[in-house]
Amino acid sequence: MSEVTTVATGWGLSFIVVVTYALWIVGRGKTVGRELGIGGQEELDPGSDSSMPADS
Amino acid sequence: MAQMPGTKHMTATPATRVLGAVALVAVLLMVLLGLVVSPADVVQGQAVRMLYLHVPSIWIAYGAFVLTSLSSALFLIRSRRRHDGGRHYDRLAGSAAEVGVVFTGITLATGMLWGRVTWGTYWQWDARLTTTVLLFVTYLGYLALRRLPADPMTRGRRTAVMALVSFVNVPIVHYSVDWWRTLHQKASLSVGRRPEITGEMYWTLLYSTLAVTIVASWLIVHRYRVIRLEELRDEEALEALIASRLKEDDVQA
Repeated sequence: MSEVTTVATGWGLSFIVVVTYALWIVGRGKTVGRELGIGGQEELDPGSDSSMPADS
Repeated sequence: MAQMPGTKHMTATPATRVLGAVALVAVLLMVLLGLVVSPADVVQGQAVRMLYLHVPSIWIAYGAFVLTSLSSALFLIRSRRRHDGGRHYDRLAGSAAEVGVVFTGITLATGMLWGRVTWGTYWQWDARLTTTVLLFVTYLGYLALRRLPADPMTRGRRTAVMALVSFVNVPIVHYSVDWWRTLHQKASLSVGRRPEITGEMYWTLLYSTLAVTIVASWLIVHRYRVIRLEELRDEEALEALIASRLKEDDVQA
């Protein structure tokens, strides 16, 4: 394997891994959100721990 | 229906959208610097460009595992004081460990490819490579332990202990090139030691580390929020199950 091919493979593989993982996270968030009944609407800010679910 | 102050996207806020945009621009600039602007090496030629991915990846993995350990320790302290205390530390530990495993995997993959052109082999069971693969497998085990069904607090305590035990390997990986004779070169940059690289290569490596840190931060923030969503879903399912059981008891009575 030439140097250029090695570099292209390494960088390409790394980007595929990170992008796939990022898309999986976003997709997982949407799936679980839909299961919670909040998909496609105004959605929650799950980073906020202090906010308890309120009636909507 | 449970709902908290809303945003348009499931795990995004305006701040994380800005972070995502910054990460994208930072990565594009990293590609430009790493693959075009920085020069080829006199000895390694074009293969030196693996440096700008391989080294930042393991640094980010170290950082993620430090975050996992600190969060786990704080979770153990907080959960002793209050039964439901410190679950956000558990979430942070889990999200950081997962991102750490992804970047350790990238380190191993890029290292193997780089080794093929510089050493003539993809793999050698030397100290650095062996301890790194052990690190990868140990944290995979940690992630597997997080998926075992259990009460959240019990699971949190188990995984926190495992995180603290697993962290022992991090300094061993880092110093393995100093403690043992290995095929792997010594650290390119190290505190208290003159850098092995200079000029454009040095700055490109530092910049790449910054860019990968921004990407890892985005991943950790979003993964944390997904874990929070999963917990909400599980709690809701449990409440529904309890309500259904109580209803059955009422009917039988």
